Amino acid sequence: MGFSLWLQRNAFVVWVNGSVVTASSLEIIHYVGFFLLVGATAIMDLRVMGVAAKRQSATQLAEQVFPWMWTGLVLATISGFLMYASDATEYLHNSVFHHKLYLCVLGIIFAVIVRRNVPKWDKLPAIPGIAKLIALVSLVLWVATILWGVDVPALTGVG
Amino acid sequence: MHQFIISFARWVQSTHLGVGILESTWAFPYVQLTHFTGLSLFIGTNLALDLRMMGIGNKNQTAAQLSDSVFAWNWVGFVIAITGGFMLFSTAALTYVANPSFDVKLSMLIPTALIVHIFNQQKVRTWGQTPETPGIAKLAGLVELLLWLSVVSAAVLIPYFAAEP
Repeated sequence: MGFSLWLQRNAFVVWVNGSVVTASSLEIIHYVGFFLLVGATAIMDLRVMGVAAKRQSATQLAEQVFPWMWTGLVLATISGFLMYASDATEYLHNSVFHHKLYLCVLGIIFAVIVRRNVPKWDKLPAIPGIAKLIALVSLVLWVATILWGVDVPALTGVG
Repeated sequence: MHQFIISFARWVQSTHLGVGILESTWAFPYVQLTHFTGLSLFIGTNLALDLRMMGIGNKNQTAAQLSDSVFAWNWVGFVIAITGGFMLFSTAALTYVANPSFDVKLSMLIPTALIVHIFNQQKVRTWGQTPETPGIAKLAGLVELLLWLSVVSAAVLIPYFAAEP
């Protein structure tokens, strides 16, 4: 509680959430960030599942889209943290928000698993079933992260 | 034209679709989910291609290859996004058409961005053959990138422009 209260009263946090221009900029950065993050991850997962970008190897596609996945993650995390900070005490016991964060962390873990294994899967005659399952779980995790994200204001009224 | 838009909005809002989403306790977040999932696929891949046209990002593959790889899901994302978007609109159509930010987004920004997007998808096949893209491709990528950022900005600003009750 002490930390949340301190964060919420931090001069920069108060300033950045205090005017229309800065507050709406945070939202714009958050949307653009997660569009890049989820869009890049989804294309990668669909490629591993065998339903996208078949003319390119999965490794080639990974080299192309993963930098944008990480860029999107950084943008969404920084803007998201600053929006969270302005209502930190309210998010402290907000279980919907906590679940969204757990889903997001799981999504990042699965993205790392996909990225690390793609060159290995590519060397096999066909992408193995377990790889397709991992990609499907990754895709579902990000869709679930968005669902829990929109549920935060819808179910708890915060944000 | 204005009268037509108002009566269309009134009709959409009164349909089973609009009323159903609004009266349901669980439908609204799923409609938002549809819109945002579609946008992630559509805008996410648009921005990646725009940036590649601008010469930013991994250059092991050409812009033409990237465009080819994402093409099908790019448009699947677009269809998902407008489906979700139309359902969101149907819950409060009259309020939306009276909102200046929504009007600018739908009547100007989205059509312009879409035209530039389709143009770029065609042109990238010739511009994007080499690892380094020509200056005109960089400019076209930047223009499209800025247009999509304007679309997102106008969307975010809709609640800020909501008329006082």
